[in-house]
Parts: sequence; C-alpha cells; structure tokens
Amino acid sequence: MPTVVLMDVSLSMTRPVSLDGSEEFQRKNLAVHGLNMLFEHMSSNYRLEFTTLMAFSSLWELLVPFTRDYNALQEALSNLEDYDKTCVEAALQGVSNVVQQEWGSACPCQVVLVTDGSLGIGKGSLRHSLQTLKQRGDEKKFPLPFPFPCKLYIMCVANAEELQMSDAMDNLEELLRLSGGDGQIFTVEGTLCMKSVQAMFGRLIDHAYSPFLAVLHCGNLSADVQVFPRPEPVVIDEEVEPIPRTVSTEIDEVGTGTTDELEDEPSASQMAGKSPNFCVLLHGSLKIEGMVALVQLGPEWYGMLYSQADSKKKSNMMLSVFEIGPEPLPWLGKISHLGPISEAAENPYGEDDNKSPFPLQPQVKRSYAQNVTVWIKASGLQTDVQKILRNARKLPDKTQTFYKELNRLRKAALAFGFWELLKGVADLLERECTMLPDSAHPDAAFQLSHAAQQLKLASTGDSQYAAFDHNIVPMHTDFSS
Amino acid sequence: MFSVAHKTVFVVDHCPYMAESSRQQVECDVLTKSRAQGVIPLAPVSKSLWTCAVECSMEYCRILYDIYPRNKLVNYIVSDSEFHILNSWRQEDQSIQELMSALAAVGPPNPREDPECCSILHGLVAAVESLCKITELQHEKRTALMDTAERVANRGRIICLTNAKSDTHVRMLEDCIQETILEQNKLAGGSDRLMAIQQCDLVLVHIYPQGEDTLVSDRPKKEISPLLTSEVHSVRAGRHLATKLNILVQQHFDLASTTITNIPMKEEQHANTSANYDVELLHHRDAHLEFFKSGDLHMAGTSTRENGLKETITLKWCTPRTNSIELHYCTGAYRISPTDVNSRPSSCLTNFLLNGRSVLLEQPRKSGSKVISHMLSSHGGEIFLHVLNSNRSILEDPPSISEGCGGRVTDYRITDFGEFMKENRLTPVSESSHDPSGKLPAERAKAQLERHTRYWPMIISQTTIFNMQAVVPLANLIVKETLSDEDVLTCQKTVYNLVDMERKNDPLPISTVGSRGKGPKRDEQYRIMWNELETLVKTHAGDTDRHQRVLDCIIACRSKPPEEEERKKRGRKREEREDRTEKNATKDTDEKSWQDSERLKGLLDKEDQESEVIKDSPDSPEPPNKKPRVATEEVQPPERAKGPVSLLTMWTNRITMANSRKHQEFVGRVNSVNSKFELYQQLKDENGMDVHENGKASR
Repeated sequence: MPTVVLMDVSLSMTRPVSLDGSEEFQRKNLAVHGLNMLFEHMSSNYRLEFTTLMAFSSLWELLVPFTRDYNALQEALSNLEDYDKTCVEAALQGVSNVVQQEWGSACPCQVVLVTDGSLGIGKGSLRHSLQTLKQRGDEKKFPLPFPFPCKLYIMCVANAEELQMSDAMDNLEELLRLSGGDGQIFTVEGTLCMKSVQAMFGRLIDHAYSPFLAVLHCGNLSADVQVFPRPEPVVIDEEVEPIPRTVSTEIDEVGTGTTDELEDEPSASQMAGKSPNFCVLLHGSLKIEGMVALVQLGPEWYGMLYSQADSKKKSNMMLSVFEIGPEPLPWLGKISHLGPISEAAENPYGEDDNKSPFPLQPQVKRSYAQNVTVWIKASGLQTDVQKILRNARKLPDKTQTFYKELNRLRKAALAFGFWELLKGVADLLERECTMLPDSAHPDAAFQLSHAAQQLKLASTGDSQYAAFDHNIVPMHTDFSS
Repeated sequence: MFSVAHKTVFVVDHCPYMAESSRQQVECDVLTKSRAQGVIPLAPVSKSLWTCAVECSMEYCRILYDIYPRNKLVNYIVSDSEFHILNSWRQEDQSIQELMSALAAVGPPNPREDPECCSILHGLVAAVESLCKITELQHEKRTALMDTAERVANRGRIICLTNAKSDTHVRMLEDCIQETILEQNKLAGGSDRLMAIQQCDLVLVHIYPQGEDTLVSDRPKKEISPLLTSEVHSVRAGRHLATKLNILVQQHFDLASTTITNIPMKEEQHANTSANYDVELLHHRDAHLEFFKSGDLHMAGTSTRENGLKETITLKWCTPRTNSIELHYCTGAYRISPTDVNSRPSSCLTNFLLNGRSVLLEQPRKSGSKVISHMLSSHGGEIFLHVLNSNRSILEDPPSISEGCGGRVTDYRITDFGEFMKENRLTPVSESSHDPSGKLPAERAKAQLERHTRYWPMIISQTTIFNMQAVVPLANLIVKETLSDEDVLTCQKTVYNLVDMERKNDPLPISTVGSRGKGPKRDEQYRIMWNELETLVKTHAGDTDRHQRVLDCIIACRSKPPEEEERKKRGRKREEREDRTEKNATKDTDEKSWQDSERLKGLLDKEDQESEVIKDSPDSPEPPNKKPRVATEEVQPPERAKGPVSLLTMWTNRITMANSRKHQEFVGRVNSVNSKFELYQQLKDENGMDVHENGKASR
C-alpha cells in the first residue's frame, strides 16, 4: 500500500514549543523529527513501500514523487520552507490527483496527514469546507472519500486538550468519517516535546507499518517469511454481523498444481555460504517446474505461491491471496476436496505429465455452452423458423437436423405457452409440402405432413402430445421395395 | 452471503386475462424473393401476455444462473385459481431446463376459466411461505455456526409479474404480503425447517398490452414496514418488458454491461470478407471498479441506451496473443453472460473462447493512448472476464530471492524438490468418496506432506543417501502411510544392496560433493551414510510394524563403528572376524528380520538356502559361487549365520580359510573397488583433511 505523507508547512507550524531546555523547537521541527523516525523505520523494515512527500499550505506541492528511496525523502524533509495558511481541502484534492495518476483507483493507499491542528480560518479552512459540503455541485465535490480505498492517519503535533479547546478535533473526526476507511487520529500524549512526538509516531508505526511476519509450512519443512504488502483483514459483508478475517501467520502449504506458464531463463544466483532456506528451495523448484503451490492462509482462505520474474535476472516468490471461501477458483472445485494423487488409481497427470485433472467442468453447462432458445428479439424466433424451413426443403437428406430443430422449437413453444407458434409453423410446413417440386423425394412430403400434424396436436395442449420431454420422431418410411 | 439476492421468488400471473395478446406481432415467415410468387405469407404471430412474462423471466434466470451458478436461488410460482410451485430451493432444481419443463406442464392460461376464482394473491401468499423455507446453504451455515446460528439471515425478493387493475389493487396486494409475512414469521419460530423473514423486497411488474394505457403508475422503492419494501414497474409487454427485466437482473445482482466492439467475423454469405461486430456481455460490476471509482465512465466509451437506464462500457477487441504474461497482473475474474445469447456474433465469440482462446480488450482513453484493461478467457467451460491492472504496480521491481536468507546457497536440491512437488500434486476427489479416517482430502494431502518431509535435507552437500540411486526404492517406500509385505521386502533388498556395496567398497557420492577436497575416508563415508539412512527410517518407524521392521533391518545389517575399526585389520585377523560374526549371530534376536528371511527362502531358491540372502540384493544377481570368498567372508548380515549352512558354502569357507592362512592379503586387494585400488591415498587423504580443517576450498 503506497503511502502519501502530507506535511502541513503553514506558518502555524513554526510556532515555538516551550521547553525547559536551552534549545527552542518549532512544531515543524518536531513533526520532521517524527517523520524521519517513520522513514528510518520504513527503510529498514518496510523498504518495499512506495512513499511520496507532499507539502501544503494554501497551495500544495509534490516534493518527492512515489519512491523507495528513503534518503531522498529525508533529504526533502530537511529542506522544508514555511508558507502561508492551512487549506486542507485543496491539499486532499492534490493527494487524490497524485495517487490516481500513479496507481489508478483500485490500489489502496495510506495517507499520513501531519498538522498542528490549526486548520485555517475563513474560506479554505477545514471548518468552512465541512460546512459547505452539501452545497456543492458535481464540479467542486469535496475530495473525500477518495476514489481509491484509503486509510487516513492524522498526526497532530498537538495534544488532545489543545485540539478540544477549539472545534479542531470535531473537524478532524468529521474528516476521518468522510474518508470512509478505518483511519485514526493520533495526538501527542502529555506535554509537547521531542519524546512525546516520538511516542506518537511510534504508535503509528506499530499500527500501520509493522512488518507482516509469518511462517511458511510444508509438512516438516518451514521458513520464516515476510509478506509485503501486508495482507489486510477482510470483512465479509452481507451477513448479519460481519466478521473481519485476518490472514493467519501460520501459512500451510496444501499441495501443488501446475501452471500454464513456463519460464526458461534461470536466475543468476551468487556463490557464498549461508544457511539454506526452504523458501529459496521452493522458489527454485516452482520456477523450474512451472508449478504453483497452494497455501492455506486461514479457515477456508487460500492463496498460491509462485515464482515471478520482474526482469530476466531477478525473480522472487509471490503470494496471491484468493477471495475467502471454500471454492475460490471454480475450475479447481472445492479446495478441501483436493487430495493427493497417490490415492488415485492412475496418475491424473499422466505418466509423462501430459494431462491434467483440471479444469473441472461445471455440472450444468452455461447458457452459451448449450443450445438455449431465446425469442425475446423477433430475429431469434425468425432464425429458428427459417432454420426449420431450410432443412425442410432438403428432406430427406436433412431429416435428422430437421427434426432436431423442430423439437427444439416445439419444446420452447410449449414452455413459453406459445401454442400459436406451433400452429403457425405447422401451417408453414403444410405449405412447404404443397410447394415441393416434382423432383422431390417422396419421403419429403410424408415427413412434412407428419411433422405438421404432430405440431398441431401439441398445440392443443393435449397432455398426450404436448409433453415437454416428448420428441417428434421421423415417420418410419420404407422406399426400398 | 444471505442478502435478499440469496432467494428470489418469481410469482407469475396465470389468470385468464394473461392469455390476452400482447399485440406485438412477429413476422416469422420471411419469404425470399425467388419464392415469393403466388405464395400467401403466413399471418404474423403474436405472443400472449403470459408468453411475454414467461420468456422474460426465463431470460432473467438464464443470466442469473450463468453468472451465479450456486447459492443465488430461484423459486418459481404461478398463480391462477390456486398456486403452483414449479421447483424448490434445492440446487438441483436450479436450472433453465427444469423450469422450462415445469412451465410446459402448466401451459398457457385457460381463457375460459372463471376470472372470479383466479387471483395473483394465491401465488403471493405461497411466495411468502416459500421465503420462510430454509435453503440448503442456510441449513448448512446454521448447522456449522451452532452457537451463532442467529447470524444466518433470511432475506428474499419477490418478483411478481401480473396485470394489476389499479393502484388500489397494488396497495391491497402489498398489505396482504405484509400480513402474510407477520403470520408466517410467527409460525417459523417453532420450526427447524422454517426461518422468519427479516427482509422482503417486493418488485411488482405490471404488464399491459401494446397500444393500451396503463392503469397502474410506476413507483420507486418505498418502505411498507421494516420487513417489507415495495416498488412498482408498469411496463408494456414485449421488448419493453424484456429490457425492464434485463435492467432488474442487473440491479438485483450487482451486474454491469460491457460491449466488446470491433470483433472481426466472417460473413455468413461471403466467407472471404469479414465485418466488425459488437457483443454485449453482462458480469459482476466489480469488473468495472476502476471505471466507476475514477468517474472515468464516459472516457471509457460508455453509452446510454433506450430509456436511459441501461449503460454499457465499450471495450475494443485485440487480436489474440498466445503468451500469458499479462495474467500476472490479473486482479479479478468474473463470469459473464451474453445479453443476446443465441445471436450469431455472440455465439461466435463464446465458441471462440470456449475453444481455449483468449481475447485482450483495449480501453479507449481520452488521451487517445490505448490501454489493455481486460481479458476474456474460459476455464473449464465457463467464460470469465479478467481484470488486468493497467496502472503502475506496487509490486514492481521486487528484490531477487537471492538477496534474502539462504539466497546465496547454491546446492539446493531443486530437481529433487521438483520431483517431490510432482508426487505431492493435488487432484479433485469426489465428495461422495468417503475416507475411513474421516479426514477431508486436503487434510490427507497435508498428512502426506508431513510424512514426506520428516527427513528432507534441503541441500545436496547435506545428504548422502538422497544422492544415491541405490537408496531410491527404500526412500520412496518408507514415506508411505502403510507398507505391504512386498514393500518391506523391497526396503530390505535395498539395505542388503547397501551392505553389498559397502563390502565391495563402492565409492559413495559423499566425497565428490562440494569443494572440500577428498573428504572423509570410505569407511567413515559408509558410517555417515548408515547414520543418515537410520535417521530417515527412524522418523517413520513408529507408524506401523512394517515400518519398524525396515528400521530393524537397517540396525541389524549396518556395520557398527567398532566393526569398521576391525575391518581395517581384517586382512590379518580373519579368524577373529569369523568368531565375531558368530557372536553377532547369537546376539541377533530380531524375530521379525528372521521371519523375513524365512519368507524369502520360500520366495527364492529353496535348494541353496545359504545363498538366498545374497540373491536378495538386486544388484548382485550372479550366483554366489562366482565370488565365494566375498560372499561368505565379508560383511555378512548377522541373521544369515543363524540359518543352516549348505555343504557348498562350508566347503568354500574351508578352502578360502585355508588359502588365506598361507599368505597375508594385499591391502590394495582388500580395499579394492571392482578390483582397482588407488595408490598413495594417504597423501590425498591427508591433504584433504588439512584443507577441510582449514575450511578453505581448494581445487
């Protein structure tokens, strides 16, 4: 999940913090200190996170675009300048643009808003923005909620009492509510000082930037792994009370399956002595064999591990988390009903690895895979009638197709209660019979009048002739003698 | 899981007035010009209100079943002078075929029936009763969540297709449903198979013939009570009704529409030309998440059609490619259903996909640059719309696995683990096949993984036995859950073969692995090998008696370290050695091993009872008399001495012993491999040891 750090650089951030010691700090200094701490933590424990640094006052500025270079971020922090008043709405609009431009609108993001809690005055202030929420047209909509999933963390370089003296806290809470995600407001506990700000950022780190450490098990083989980005808990809705589900930190490998993809570029590995790790072994074998490993992440929650190459030289193990449920990929069937091939009488993958038990076919074919009859549009009905007539003119060569199409039409007409059509088609067949050329095979006339008669009988609804499962069979004729 | 979409009841009016014509005429006799002369065309046919209602509801179900093959259930009820329930909530009743068959049995309404006796109310009351009936899934979840059974909800929707008389009539129907819900909820409290309704959405569709004015006004969804909401749609029969139900199925099941444009297709009449066609598909709306969220709908080629209610996103067909690298960034796959299923363009596209081809779809953007955002492809007879990530990925530029823990180790048993994975592949097991252990197949797969990994060294230099072809039969068998007598026999043969190798002083792969110079001496190598083999088998010995027997065999057969010390001097101390063999033999009290060799006797050559054990070893098929000295004097499996000795063996022993007394055997011959012996081994050994001690890799 990429992180946007949105730093308040308005004048109010330069307010001095009264300290017992000799040195005098501004709130900005404390904030920068806290952010440095966050960046240092990320560079050592969360180094794959993309982070951007934006500064805002009445305007906003992108200081460092999304990067994993934490030195660049810290460098930019040390060169912050001071500007005019705070305008949160414009800055959030900026965040929205920057994130969408980079990641689109499906990628979840974390926004860390660092402010002193004085949220501007008059037009452009957060208070004003929130008061005018309902009076806006589509063009000037408030940027929250963002189009992308977002966790908003508001870091106040101020303590809660200070914020509650004005309506700042209420406004920030409203902001959090509007963001729609499960963010949080952090305030300084106790007096404002280096230490308390450190503690506040420490709480943010614990909450949002703790690495996800897990153990990958394959029978008795195991390896400690870090999963990045962190798999977030999933809330299953549509139940009376939704239960959040979290990925278990004990990942169980269930077994392996074959993928379609095969890569032929071996990874360049370097020589050196270190203790062997199961993950590396598994990765190597998955890559060579072009297989994936099925892993269990929790009760009825599965995923797969596979080797993914970003370039020709580098490849790494990737975990894809499936949707929660007993049957995340329908063509595999229920995961709990996948068993070892050793139980099968015959290797379902073939002795030469030339076949596969997958994909499983659904019990009932989808409508597009079976010959369904739909007459919603007149053209559908016309096509079906014409098909019968076309075959009628080629009797007796097309006897089988003729009756197949006839029976398909008959079934649909009976189900739809469309008896008028049965009569109509019977009339058409009778007409065709009278129009047969002299050269026609005598059987054609017999079959046509037989079919017409059967349709007419069906159109009476008489249970003897109008049964759905009944099929009109060709009239038995013998012209050989 | 249990939203209103879990249960849908269709209540279709079967009263005499539904037999009325929709007055929408279909010309089904299309005459070609050449045949037109003198032929009176057939009068156009027109569908009744009933036919319109039935075919549109079937289309609703078709789309629903295509996209949600399970757990979105339909109960179909028709109402005239009484109600007729055409199917149940059970999964096997959920198919178009089932419903069509039941509808055929009902037939069209009888226009001569007394209208006074007929009412849609019978069906609506039955619908409420039906909503109270528990479905398989609700039952399953209720049983699974015993303590939290109240979490399983019961909500549903009633779609009523009727011809109402007036707005007052509609209100009367709503009131009646409300009352019935209250009554039924009381009953449901006392039953296992019934559940009280927590929410019911009534969708009343008033159908009237073309050219008439409606007597019922449209009304958006409103709350009648906390349990019941109601909405009214007043629609002309025919294509308006079809469009309405198509919109409803999209609303009810969170669907969205994508139109694939620019599909090249051969013309039916002119096979050598091709024209471009469009096909509209429905699918879960999450496949459009990216568009909805970013407000990009209009940029992505949205068009609003007909009455302004239906929207579709247009994506452009791209010429299929074979490589599937794009799959890596697939973020979702959604089932589809074509809107116009049996039109030629639709069936061409679906057949193309069902035959295993994939189609990438391009998204026209405002800047003019085109981005591939979706892919159509089938899996197991079902077509899915795959969403591809078209933005920058946060997974880009991941570190190489070689930068992590263990990334610099180079002698992983990659190939062996590949074989291991292949043996542990999964296959679907039918739900009906019951395992006596009561474990689910996946649990059995995990148990197999556990057994197969009890001893599994990850790198080549950590293992000797897995580098030896001779150990393969035992290694493959010992991990099995149960062993047959034959399996035990094979394992024992493997052990005897190793004994034979040791006796012949065959080299072990241990010394060639890694770059540690010469490595340990041969007898030390065998000691390591035996230890490792014992470790492997010990992890399984507790499983069954037969597993234990394999371990017993190894313990009994392997030469103990003191013996190996002896072995070095064996050239000079032959008599002592013979004594010891006898001692060992008396110590051997392992009945199982003994029984095994007894059994072998039956299986193998009965005449030569002494040599049979040697024949055990698959790698020494020659008769023992070719190498009598080796066969009788070297490392004899101790139990062999216990058996009766043949005359031939006794004679050979005697001669050999006599001969050996006459001279001292050359050290080289004693330690030779295939009658070859490497000279000046000590020098190499010493060098090797030195290098090893320094921990440096020379060579």
